[in-house]
Amino acid sequence: MDFKLTEEQELIRDNMREFARTYVDPVAVEIDENSRYPEEVIKKLADGGWLGMPFPAEYGGAGVDYLTYAIAVEELSRSCAATGFTMSVHTGLACGPIALYGSDEQKKKYLTPMAKGEHLGAFALTEPGAGTDVGAATSTAVLDGDEYVLNGVKTFTSNGPVANTYVTFAWTDKNDKRNGMSAFIVSRETPGLSVGEHFMKMGIRASQTSEIIFKDCRIPKDNLLGKVGDGMKIAMACFDHGRIGIAAQAVGIAQAALDESISYSKQRVQFGKPISKNQAIQWMIADMYTDITAGRFLYYYAAYLKDQGLPFSKEASMAKVFCAEMCSKHASKAVQIHGGYGYCKGQKVERLMRDAKITEIYEGTSEAQRMVIAGNVLR
Amino acid sequence: MSGVWIYADKYEQGVELLTAGRGVADMLGMKLTALVSGDNNIAQDFIARGADEVLLLPPLTESQPVQDYVPLMADEARDADPDVFLIAASLKGKEMAARIAARLDTALCSECSAMNIDEKGKLQMERLMYGGAAIQTVSISSRPQMATIPPRSYEAAPVQSDRQGNIKTLESPEPSGMQVMERKGKAQASGDITAARIIVCAGRGIENQEDLAMVRELAEVLGGEVACTRPISEEKHWMTEESCIGLSAKEVKPALYLGIGVSGQIQHVVGIREAGIICAVNSDENAPIFESADYGITGDLYQIVPALIEEFKK
Amino acid sequence: MPNIICCFKWVVDEAYIKPSSSGKIDLEWAEYKLSDYDRNAIEEAVQLQEKYGGSVTAVTVASSDATKGIKDALSRGPEKAYFINDDQFENLEPSQTSAILAKVIGDQIDYDLIICGEGSSDMYSQQVGPRLAEKLGIPCIAFVNQLTIEDNRIIAERKTDDGLEVISAPLPALVTVLPDINSPRVPGLKDTLAASKKPVIEIDLEDLGSEYERLLIDEGLRAASMERNCSRFGAGPEDIKAFVEAVRKTGVIDRG
Ligand SMILES: Cc1cc2nc3c(=O)[nH]c(=O)nc-3n(C[C@H](O)[C@H](O)[C@H](O)COP(=O)(O)OP(=O)(O)OC[C@H]3O[C@@H](n4cnc5c(N)ncnc54)[C@H](O)[C@@H]3O)c2cc1C
Ligand SMILES: Cc1cc2nc3c(=O)[nH]c(=O)nc-3n(C[C@H](O)[C@H](O)[C@H](O)COP(=O)(O)OP(=O)(O)OC[C@H]3O[C@@H](n4cnc5c(N)ncnc54)[C@H](O)[C@@H]3O)c2cc1C
Repeated sequence: MDFKLTEEQELIRDNMREFARTYVDPVAVEIDENSRYPEEVIKKLADGGWLGMPFPAEYGGAGVDYLTYAIAVEELSRSCAATGFTMSVHTGLACGPIALYGSDEQKKKYLTPMAKGEHLGAFALTEPGAGTDVGAATSTAVLDGDEYVLNGVKTFTSNGPVANTYVTFAWTDKNDKRNGMSAFIVSRETPGLSVGEHFMKMGIRASQTSEIIFKDCRIPKDNLLGKVGDGMKIAMACFDHGRIGIAAQAVGIAQAALDESISYSKQRVQFGKPISKNQAIQWMIADMYTDITAGRFLYYYAAYLKDQGLPFSKEASMAKVFCAEMCSKHASKAVQIHGGYGYCKGQKVERLMRDAKITEIYEGTSEAQRMVIAGNVLR
Repeated sequence: MSGVWIYADKYEQGVELLTAGRGVADMLGMKLTALVSGDNNIAQDFIARGADEVLLLPPLTESQPVQDYVPLMADEARDADPDVFLIAASLKGKEMAARIAARLDTALCSECSAMNIDEKGKLQMERLMYGGAAIQTVSISSRPQMATIPPRSYEAAPVQSDRQGNIKTLESPEPSGMQVMERKGKAQASGDITAARIIVCAGRGIENQEDLAMVRELAEVLGGEVACTRPISEEKHWMTEESCIGLSAKEVKPALYLGIGVSGQIQHVVGIREAGIICAVNSDENAPIFESADYGITGDLYQIVPALIEEFKK
Repeated sequence: MPNIICCFKWVVDEAYIKPSSSGKIDLEWAEYKLSDYDRNAIEEAVQLQEKYGGSVTAVTVASSDATKGIKDALSRGPEKAYFINDDQFENLEPSQTSAILAKVIGDQIDYDLIICGEGSSDMYSQQVGPRLAEKLGIPCIAFVNQLTIEDNRIIAERKTDDGLEVISAPLPALVTVLPDINSPRVPGLKDTLAASKKPVIEIDLEDLGSEYERLLIDEGLRAASMERNCSRFGAGPEDIKAFVEAVRKTGVIDRG
């Protein structure tokens, strides 16, 4: 057993830290306030080779293991959860399924520019009527000659307004609830694809979220991802590894909350001494530190299993639900430690608390994670 | 042979080192030798201010850098074998000291902040480490014991009447392959911050060069000088490095220091350690400057500085 | 096409330095980093190579566990590294470091230009560069702000207490650089991955075949205390009044 990262992993972590400090920290407040997509930062991520981390070099990636990728997401999220999520959706949910299920052709055409960071990816599964219940989706894909014709509305599509390439899902056989859904790759410029308004959100405001509308959207038959009917399987596989990214993002947010809490509590003087001298504050900080460490090892473990080619679905769900919930809890505690100042704009914890909540919702709510875990344990 | 040697590439620092060197020489019961570049008048002046002997470095040609003295000085020191050799820690002095030390195979205490002599007659020297977070005490087992001394660590030695001393003029140094092609003076700094009683220090919290006017006005109202952090002088070049405070810049000892938009990193704060009262204005409640301050205001400097100007005017 | 050497040091990150309750310095939990100004040294070497061609070699003297430092340095652009390491190379003093560097560089490396940082962020003695130049018997220009190569000479703008001097010196030569000479790049992922594959030449004390005596005796280390008890004020008009009042009370401001 070995709990140490390799030197290379440590250096990559440190470099992402340096990257985030240099390029992300200076804009983090402004992009949150204006709900702005930080195009210049994403370009820098691309230039640094950060947008295709776990994919083979032959498809434009860097070929590092998934653990290293997740660590980078944590470090980036520590500065800005929205930017961390942009990277995570692109890598885990958009590039991921093409790397796993795409043909060589598709990998060359779509994955390569995405892994190089020239194209940004999005994942459009959720529909207005189909959230946790993916099967309630209504979008359809009908084969017409050499083309599939897509119809339907996707919602909450992260990176939707700014992506070049979408991985989406639609029924090819509406009557087969198990194997009737298929996955597709759709290019932004395809006629019949339109992008809705960017949603105004509570947190991760710099991450761009919108509806994606398919109206008689014709895509080449070759853009079917995997086999006909693989849709549900692909979606679930994406969630499995995507959740490791969200767990890492949550740990990054929680770590930032801890960083802020430590420095603030040592500075803030009440009753003639720094508030950190009070046991009540010390306990909050001890609990934060403990949960963050536990959460980090949970996601490290899930990533390790994935890297070893072992089953990791349950562990990814465990990491996701634990990290998300401890993140929300401690971001709120961090505001508590900051008192009234923490409730106001201008303190990072105010943003952290808003950003934290989403980690319990997307890529499967906490309830959904528990269903996965229980399903595995009670098998 | 024994003795204490001093060298500074500038006159003002030379006379400060006379004070330092005289003190050490007296305690050790030794002769004080000053290496001086210039003419007989300067040599006489150094003797009047405490030197027992002056080794006069002959003038250099226009294109010769002062570092061309290094081989000569090292050769003289090797022959004379002094116990102690102190050099002013100017930028040139620090480089020359290191090179002379290398030639003499001896150790050098860089930027010595305090000096004592122990019972065995050895120098115990203090210097800052880890960006100023720690103070290290060192001694030197080889000869000569060398140190560089930051400017203004000592008062200038006063002229005393009827002091006698030898003057020996050294031979002109061989030109090295190095040539000074151009010398550029720097823009005249407004005032000397190391002598100021009140300092208002501008940090990177100031967004535009024009906004320095506000800081200047505050300094004027207080009757003080304006200083800055390294990013202001070295990155933005809004002020000269003469005005910069910190580890790699100036150390100041004002009665009042007021930092405006200064984060208070250790490398800056070491420069104000000796200040009487330290005040800070910073919008970040967690800024480390508050740890080293006596009075701190948390808030936007753009709002607070004008308010302070008004209030201090009253 | 100049062959350039850049020297770097792997140092304790001063952010981790905390005085213990006894006033001693506790380094047990300290992380290490590439010394700040050595990043500028490496960056300058790489930029010169981008401009003039040639090669960049990174060299360090360190204790044997500084392997991460080698990868870090290599991720910033040099094509190979000399890792002069030994378990005994702990807290070397400038005379030792420069003598060891001189031995290896003098005996084994073809070079036209050596670039060092002006000083290391831990000791900041600012000696290794100039000492190394002396040991190698080459010209030295310290505190350099700007650097170009012309006809087998370097032209360097160096800072002095009075301003600047533009100095030319024949190659081979050594310069120490100031932080404002450039802004070091942030290594990308692929730079880090490539770093692990670059050649590293390891040399230990035995290979050097000589002893490097300690001349600077450490007589003790203590934390520098700078903590003051800060009275805090807000930004409101009343706060400003109270602040000014408090400062006036100390008597540091002459009225009149
Ligand atoms: C900012 C943001 C970004 C997103 N990005 C994407 C994206 O890029 N791509 C994409 O496809 N989707 C995305 N989503 C959608 C997200 O995955 C869904 O919001 C999520 O799956 C929950 O679906 P829902 O919002 O419809 O909630 P619902 O499914 O309606 O759930 C409401 C509540 O009921 C609970 N619940 C539902 N079913 C059960 C059950 N069987 N047992 C117990 N409890 C249950 C849930 O846990 C939740 O608490 C994003 C959402 C947001 C807010
Ligand atoms: C070996 C070494 C030597 C060094 N030597 C020196 C030295 O001699 N001198 C030196 O100064 N530095 C030195 N440094 C650099 C030092 O580490 C710091 O980077 C530097 O002091 C920071 O300067 P700053 O406080 O102006 O800028 P920053 O650290 O950027 O701080 C700016 C501050 O302004 C605040 N601020 C921003 N906007 C506002 C506003 N509107 N109102 C109020 N506050 C605001 C911010 O909260 C922040 O705290 C050295 C570094 C090294 C490694």
